[in-house]
Amino acid sequence: MWKFIVRRLFITLPQVILLSVLIFLMAQMMPGDALSGLIDPNIDPAAIEQQRENLGLNNPWYVQYTDWITGALQGDLGQSFRYKMPVTELVEQRLINTFWLSVATLLITYIIAIPLGITSGRYNDSWADQMITGYTYIGFATPLFIFALVMLWVFGYQLGWFPTGGSVAPGLEPGSFDYVLSKLQHLLLPAISMALITTVNTVQYLRSEIIDTKQKDFIITARAKGASESRVYNRHILRNSLLPIAAFFGFEITGLIGGTVFVENIFGYPGMGDLFIQSILLRDYSVVTAVVLLFGIASILGALISDIILSLVDPRIRIK
Amino acid sequence: MTKASWSKALFALMLVLLLALAACNSGGDSEESKGSDSEGSSEKDGDKEKESEDGLYSIDDFNAAKTNEGDAIEGGELNFGLVSDTAFEGTLNWNFYSGAPDAEVINWFDEPMLYNDENFLYTNDGPASYVVDDSGKVFTFTIKDNVNWHDGEPVKAEDWAYSFEVIGDAAYTGVRYGSDFTNIEGMEEYHAGEADSISGIEVVDEKTLKITFKESTPSLLTGGIWPYAMPKHIFKDIAVADMAESPEVRENPIGMGPFKVDSLVPGESVTYVKNEDYWQGEVNLDKVTLKVINPSTVVQALETGEVDLVDSFPVDQFPDNADMSNVEFLGMTDLAYTYIGFKLGTWDKEAKEVKPDDSMKMADVNLRKAMWHAVDNNAVGEKFYNGLRWNATTLIPPSHPEFHDAENPGVEYDPEKAKQILDEAGYEDVDGDGMRENPEGEELVINFASMSGGDTAEPLANYYIQSWEQVGLNVQLLDGRLQEFNTFYDRVGQSGDDDPAVDIFQGAWSVGYDVNPDGLYGRDALFNFPRYASEENDKLLEAGVSADSFDVEKRKKVYNEWQQLMVDEIPVFPTLYRSVLVPVNNRVQNYSIAVDWFDRYNLAVTAEEAPTAE
Repeated sequence: MWKFIVRRLFITLPQVILLSVLIFLMAQMMPGDALSGLIDPNIDPAAIEQQRENLGLNNPWYVQYTDWITGALQGDLGQSFRYKMPVTELVEQRLINTFWLSVATLLITYIIAIPLGITSGRYNDSWADQMITGYTYIGFATPLFIFALVMLWVFGYQLGWFPTGGSVAPGLEPGSFDYVLSKLQHLLLPAISMALITTVNTVQYLRSEIIDTKQKDFIITARAKGASESRVYNRHILRNSLLPIAAFFGFEITGLIGGTVFVENIFGYPGMGDLFIQSILLRDYSVVTAVVLLFGIASILGALISDIILSLVDPRIRIK
Repeated sequence: MTKASWSKALFALMLVLLLALAACNSGGDSEESKGSDSEGSSEKDGDKEKESEDGLYSIDDFNAAKTNEGDAIEGGELNFGLVSDTAFEGTLNWNFYSGAPDAEVINWFDEPMLYNDENFLYTNDGPASYVVDDSGKVFTFTIKDNVNWHDGEPVKAEDWAYSFEVIGDAAYTGVRYGSDFTNIEGMEEYHAGEADSISGIEVVDEKTLKITFKESTPSLLTGGIWPYAMPKHIFKDIAVADMAESPEVRENPIGMGPFKVDSLVPGESVTYVKNEDYWQGEVNLDKVTLKVINPSTVVQALETGEVDLVDSFPVDQFPDNADMSNVEFLGMTDLAYTYIGFKLGTWDKEAKEVKPDDSMKMADVNLRKAMWHAVDNNAVGEKFYNGLRWNATTLIPPSHPEFHDAENPGVEYDPEKAKQILDEAGYEDVDGDGMRENPEGEELVINFASMSGGDTAEPLANYYIQSWEQVGLNVQLLDGRLQEFNTFYDRVGQSGDDDPAVDIFQGAWSVGYDVNPDGLYGRDALFNFPRYASEENDKLLEAGVSADSFDVEKRKKVYNEWQQLMVDEIPVFPTLYRSVLVPVNNRVQNYSIAVDWFDRYNLAVTAEEAPTAE
């Protein structure tokens, strides 16, 4: 087992390096740079050129890359031009928000997915199953950014149950009970919006898995031995059906990254997704490269986690 | 495989093919429908306006100051919405900020040492007053006695001088260091590290500062003197390079304004409390909360009273919300104009000046004039912007009422005149394809660069292209599409490498407080994208900032001549002037968006809770 994980990590390392080079080159190819948004007759072009020189933006790409990667290895991701602060600090601020948003989303995803998936799989082709599959089809078809806007409008503005923007109410003492409560309240609506859409994959997956397992020989054996229906479902079928879902967990993390970009923007929730989009638009390279690198590492780690879980579950797919 | 499963597989295959076909089809469809859609919607807009003339608005019907209704309560809280689809950067110091959102945040807790009047001239009403000597080069500033920082320390002359030292420092990380600073005696030596202090800046006593400039120009009085002080007692131990990221700038900034920063959530909200020791007098409100509001939800936030006022309102959402019952819309002319520019030369990187070139495609002034005659900008303003943008006439917008020449009609919409000019100049259709050739009889294709962004960008560009087609000019969108912001300015020449494929381009400028257009049309201005230069132009631009022009009447005359010169030579022609609209809840009193409004301490509300829309 450990051998497998170590071997898998060895593959991961060149992946990350290749990713970093690709990201850097692509960022370089984008037209404009952090200073090109400052086209303003009140700012002296010479001052802009001076800053370009100071920031090393006029150096060839491999020089810039070496500078960047040596910094990155020492934990220094450079300076954000736009925010005028170290990227590591900036990312740290935002990462905490996105982390909690993702945790909440994952929790809600599974809270919704597991009962729905079980009901739908156990009583397949009943009206309950049809309702649930109906919901999953709608979920597949609904774009997240429209759905999130509708949720915000209905629950945020019309009903007023949730705050409509930001990550915490202004003016609270950090660390106090009210502060934590307010944070929780602020991430609930974006998390629910995202979970309601992303959960449909898991529901469908679980449903077909249960239906599949139901017909396996060992279930027939269990029934033949006289096991009660609930025991058959809870002990035999559910256990076997949940394992692939657990393996799916790693990929779920990757999927969340795409989701946070939209949701954070709509809910004005300052997290990584929001930071990512804005940095691209404003060509704040040091932030773009850092964020993409983190996203990349998260996806690679997610895939790794999936692989590990899968290999635990199913010895046949261990990479030789 | 059995027969049944074969047929099932076949059926599945057919379905896949069907989907693929449908996908191809819908791709084609959507492209077509895009084209017809935009036409359709513009026609629809046209119909609507024909039905009701009320669909049009005029900036003249808006006030810059809020009408007060009812009696103000004592104290109270105000909620301010910062409309932005992103978090604000949080560089909360005048010397370091670069984005407009940060400026909105700073405005509540800090203010300039010098206030200005409606013509952007510095006055003596602010925290400091000034006297100029006879040479016009030496300014003496006196800071009023009761002006204090939020921590109780008095605002001193050395605090103001410190701003200059920080910006002039070689390690300074912002973009403010420019000609305003190099114009101070000894500044360049200080910047280069040759001097320990700036010889032109003298702290006379605790409250008196003297600054000596190299050149005296009227621009000094309209934003040419950096008006912001910086608390030296707080920043003196921080290295200049680290200031922008220090907690003194980002987490607990102080200023001298009517409100103090109480707490701050980075990038999303700030709460302010009343400054008990404000120099202008007793501050009315107890508390102000500022938070970021996404442009897509700003209407709901206003309707529910979640925010009382916002810093800016998307003008395209105004027609649908014009009758929102709980707010009053304030409006004024924006300090900006949209324009269409003609490439008349290139940028000489060595000499750092423009190099006009008579062989350029657009070099003939008659061609340019005909193109101006061919477009109906009033129709554009009415159809695309409900009258909230309108035909522009000269390159000094009416936001500068003193210098905008309202008498100058620019070049009017007259397609017949355009055709006549082209005929006379020799642009005739020789090969009979309906499009004019140039006087040499060669095919004339003009490449038009226009920026993407917003719903109207594409139909607007198409409208101009069609207008030119109607007078027989073949204008094509550069690469057949709109250009993204950064690409656009790269190709138009923000770094001096102009793309020769661009013949004409549509851009917009926001203009500064100072009316001097040298930064945009001067011979050595990189932002002079048309690459236009002429001796007459040089002469007028120089006269506009000469010592003689301290006399406003003389300066006016110079700039009227310059505006006329631009109408005659047409390196660019202005297309639209713009308006700014700001909704303010009915319970708010004494608010104004005028440029000479500095009375935040007077703000008041008439009720504890903001009324909601019905």
